[in-house]
Amino acid sequence: MAASISGLLKPWTPSVFLVRWSRYNPYYLEPEVSKEAYSRPETELSAEEKEQRELKALRPIKAATSGVTSSVFDDPVISKFINMMMEHGNKVLAREIMTQTLENIKKKQVEKYHKASEGEREVIECNPYTIFHQALENCKPVVGLASIQKGGKYYQVPIPLTDNRRRFLAMKWMITECQDNKHRRTHMYEKLSQELLAAFGKEGNVIKKKYELHKMAEANRAYAHYRWW
Amino acid sequence: MAASCVRTVGSFLGKCTKCSSSINTVATQVLLSRQVCVSSALCRKNLAAAGPEKFTLEYIQKQVEEYEIGKRHLANMMGEDSENFTQEDIDKSIAYLFPSSLFEKRARPLMKHPDEIFPKQRAVQWGADGRPFHFLFYTGKQSYYSLMHDLYGKILKIEKHQDRLRAKGLFSQDAQLISLGPSRWLTKEELELLLVETISTHDYDRFIKLMERMLAMPYSSTEEEFVQRYRRQLEAQSMKQMMPPLEKDENGVAFSTAEGRRKTSDSSVILRDCGSGHITINGQDYLQYFPVLQDREQLMFPLQFMGVLGRFNLECTVSGGGRSSQAGALRLAISRALLSFLSEGDGEAMRQAGLLTPDPRVRERKKPGQEGARRKFTWKKR
Repeated sequence: MAASISGLLKPWTPSVFLVRWSRYNPYYLEPEVSKEAYSRPETELSAEEKEQRELKALRPIKAATSGVTSSVFDDPVISKFINMMMEHGNKVLAREIMTQTLENIKKKQVEKYHKASEGEREVIECNPYTIFHQALENCKPVVGLASIQKGGKYYQVPIPLTDNRRRFLAMKWMITECQDNKHRRTHMYEKLSQELLAAFGKEGNVIKKKYELHKMAEANRAYAHYRWW
Repeated sequence: MAASCVRTVGSFLGKCTKCSSSINTVATQVLLSRQVCVSSALCRKNLAAAGPEKFTLEYIQKQVEEYEIGKRHLANMMGEDSENFTQEDIDKSIAYLFPSSLFEKRARPLMKHPDEIFPKQRAVQWGADGRPFHFLFYTGKQSYYSLMHDLYGKILKIEKHQDRLRAKGLFSQDAQLISLGPSRWLTKEELELLLVETISTHDYDRFIKLMERMLAMPYSSTEEEFVQRYRRQLEAQSMKQMMPPLEKDENGVAFSTAEGRRKTSDSSVILRDCGSGHITINGQDYLQYFPVLQDREQLMFPLQFMGVLGRFNLECTVSGGGRSSQAGALRLAISRALLSFLSEGDGEAMRQAGLLTPDPRVRERKKPGQEGARRKFTWKKR
């Protein structure tokens, strides 16, 4: 073990191989890629943010990954969704599907916009990014179920979920739904755009799955006290 | 080992200067006596606290004298000035006189000051009558417990000061907390070195907790000097950035060169302040070389972050690796080359955006008994 902090500043390999370890030292901090974070003057920051800034000045920072940029078109949620859709490392294909999906959503919404009467036009949302975010929000479950053993039997206990877990479940359901329950000849982007538009309107199979999970959690409310954390 | 190297060097030099007798007899005497591991300071264990002292004070003083004499002889041999012969010169001379291709650096011949070779050890803790000097000797960790005792004494002193102020009615809650600046507590290893004693993690945690408790009390600034002894300054990371120099070519155009690496790719970039925004990679246009949008985005990332997209001409060469790692290597090289055109604040912003850190992630090796780096063979019950 290094006798001083300077030994901790280089990339390291732990002497014992842990199951989940990173090439970076725990001393390194996550990078902040957006331009706006650096253009804010000192006066606007709260005390915590000032402390964060000072800490960042003293600590080494990890390298930015190859999927993020500071451009306005870069969205962390969309990047995460692309990574989850990717199979065998084929990022090009996954990204292509995503762009086609967004294009498709835009096309459908613009068609609807042109066909609609004056009063309805204000309600129709044409921005595919807002539709994607809203659809994902609508799909996120509030509570989840955990299998807990008590007295020899396993019970499904309702538990609160972290934000990351909720987002992951919404994305996972969306992708599996589009991969499995579709007509043989439809493309992935077609099915995805259909599903996303349905979720935006709070309909569709993914929303149904979310409601079923909520119903199960409500039904098993009696076992909620089995949770010890 | 190390000290025996010192002795052999001393004997070698002694032969050269024909005053061999005294040094030789010392060498043979020590060789005949019990072998002791003397390179303990290089082993990074706190052997100072391991047991009663192995080397007497006179022995170490003699070693120091031998070292000084040997240093002067070495300087004379190398034809250098014996007054200003630094440790680096000694290292170079020893590497020249005793070339060694051993991979383990600690096994190579070395000649260092005995204070660096022999571990710091405590003098004998008891007098001629067997009575120990320190009142906490029988705790076993006298330095640690006396430190805790002093620290608690200081806390009581601060509390007494607070009571006196309260009695006068001058007490205020937020007054005079110590401002420590960017610094950190001593690590456990550093504290052990300071106290010349082994302490457990539990002891170390208690020490830090007590220090934090003292710092949280108002009117603790009176003990600032005591606290600073146990803190180390942290310097800002931005000081450690190496900037490539800004050069000018024949036409008066400013340019800078930098290199970058990622996985197995190596790249080198020449950034010219022309104003056209052309990018050439290995002689080809960047649109041709990187057909995938993600790689071109990575090339643009540092320039877009700084808002200088159309200003520079890039002439890049890259080799090795796959398409994504080549893009990453180029991004690092571009960020480094860009540093020489920007101010300090911008450079710091780039560092905090993660553009200037070389990515340490490399392919993990396959392990024996497994199919890949992580994947295990299919588990069969029988």
